[in-house]
Amino acid sequence: MKSKMEISFISIAIFFTLILFLAVGSLFIIPSFQGFIDSILSEEMIGAFKLTVYTAAISSVLVMLVAIPTAYSLSRYSFPLKTIIKSILDLPMAFPEIVLGLALLMLFGNNVLGGFLEKFGIQIVFTVTGIIVAQFFVAFPFAVRILYSTFNYIDTRYEFVSRSLGYSEFETFYSVTLPLSKDGIFASGVVTIARCIGAFIAVLFLAGGTYMKTETLPITLYLNLSFGNFDMALSAGIVLVIISFIAIAVLEKYGKEKAL
Amino acid sequence: MIRLFLDIKDLSVDLEEFHLQNINLQIEEGDYQVLIGPTGSGKSVLLETIAGFYKPYHGKILLEGKNITSLNPEDRGISIVYQDYVLFPHMNVFENIAYGLKKKNNGNESSLESSVYEMAEKLKIDHLLKRDTRTLSGGEMQRTAIARSLIVEPKLLLMDEPFSAVDVNTHAHLTTLIKNVIEEYQTTCIHVTHDFNDVYNLAERVAVMKDGKILQQGTLHDVFSRPSDNFVAKFVGVHNVFQGEIIGHDKSILKIKINHDIIIHSSDVFEHYSSKKTDVMVAIRPESIIFSNEPFISSVRNQLKGVVRDMFEVGHTVWIEVQVGDVTFRGVLTPNSCESLGIKIGKEIYLSFKSLNVNLMEYHNDDYST
Repeated sequence: MKSKMEISFISIAIFFTLILFLAVGSLFIIPSFQGFIDSILSEEMIGAFKLTVYTAAISSVLVMLVAIPTAYSLSRYSFPLKTIIKSILDLPMAFPEIVLGLALLMLFGNNVLGGFLEKFGIQIVFTVTGIIVAQFFVAFPFAVRILYSTFNYIDTRYEFVSRSLGYSEFETFYSVTLPLSKDGIFASGVVTIARCIGAFIAVLFLAGGTYMKTETLPITLYLNLSFGNFDMALSAGIVLVIISFIAIAVLEKYGKEKAL
Repeated sequence: MIRLFLDIKDLSVDLEEFHLQNINLQIEEGDYQVLIGPTGSGKSVLLETIAGFYKPYHGKILLEGKNITSLNPEDRGISIVYQDYVLFPHMNVFENIAYGLKKKNNGNESSLESSVYEMAEKLKIDHLLKRDTRTLSGGEMQRTAIARSLIVEPKLLLMDEPFSAVDVNTHAHLTTLIKNVIEEYQTTCIHVTHDFNDVYNLAERVAVMKDGKILQQGTLHDVFSRPSDNFVAKFVGVHNVFQGEIIGHDKSILKIKINHDIIIHSSDVFEHYSSKKTDVMVAIRPESIIFSNEPFISSVRNQLKGVVRDMFEVGHTVWIEVQVGDVTFRGVLTPNSCESLGIKIGKEIYLSFKSLNVNLMEYHNDDYST
């Protein structure tokens, strides 16, 4: 027989999960089917989808390329300011994305780094590059956090043994550490892609959210909601939800493989 | 002059929470050196420092006369085997064994397969080569780990409690197997263990560590029969350690008074002794004590009468505590001997031990205990 506590806790879990499910499910109920088809085939939606995939692909690859050595160095090496660097990397996870967006705008605007980059013809603010930069900084701390835990979890003695068998530090990293971290790298990659695709406020601040120019799927949702175009807004929401479901399904599959 | 194979000089390592201090260790080629000491004494850190995973801030390590202190681990030719195997889980048995050899052969795979097979055959794991390492038993995993280390023909093999995670039967079998393979390859070894059976079965030389220092090193006989201090004595099973005073000598035999009224004789050489009275620590191994119901005439210099205070079984032996004056001596017998002598608590009994078996150690104030 189930205890009172067990029944109460399970009831809470079921009730709130059901509400969340209904909220997500309601996205699929409200628009008319024709309206949904028209919306997803519209030039704006296709453009936003392409831009989202394009920018998220680039930013995700960049995030992983930078996050792997960052997380590894935090996990394995001792160096000055390590604790401070770790805290700074954790900050964006704690404060709202709107603050990150504002901070990036201040950095890449004309005042600080932006002015310097502009001398070399690199424009960040209100450009597609700005979308990639915003997505990068939204996802980067999450990727580092997952990879940091992954590397910490791997016994350093695997690396010791490899080196004692003649492999250099980098060869060991490549042939032992990376293969042993593949689950964590994969999970981190999935989260990174999801964060990059879903990045909204930081993208809006840095890239401007200009119609058909710097318009990613979350921006499409926002712009069309502002104009009262519910079919487009909800369709953009549905596309984002589908992408998220795919990401979760892949993650689930990875989880099952790991359990085996 | 014999050139040392491994010569560690004044080695000190700082790992913040742990320090190795002024380690000196000398090993000749082909030696089987065993490191013993309580948990946390620094045995594993010493192995990993020799392998190059930790950088010492003082001292040096010479291997075959070459200073390897600042060499990277991969350039030292030193392999390491851990207690919990540390087999690469993303590789099968074959790939694990072949891992180091592949690098050593520089990608040349022609002889790789036959070498792996040959090594696996020696360690009796040739039927497991295609197996996932996670499906192996403890003994099979350890044999794979040792094969992986030996196949690269290291100059020095380091083993950190290699048999402590396997069951008793496997342990005995593995000890013999590994001993034979290591002898065949003439590999110089340093083996960390807590198991005295390993020490008796494998060690040619023993070093005792405590708190990041080597307290004593020498042959198995030296360390176990002539411990250098009270800690080593207790650690290697010398349960009779007393504070005493050298009160005279008769030729080479020293006369020692322990606890006011007990006089015993030792033929040990004690360099700190002059003609004056000298404080000393006395150590007698329990196995050296002979029990008898009557005094007997023999060459044995020490014969004491006492009363059995306690007796308890440990494995296949019976430990007997005998009170002589205020001093308790501990000896060990088989249950059969115990029975035939009719030993029981409260019985009067004679203890005899040779002066040769009374070892003397320098007296330290904090060493005193009976």
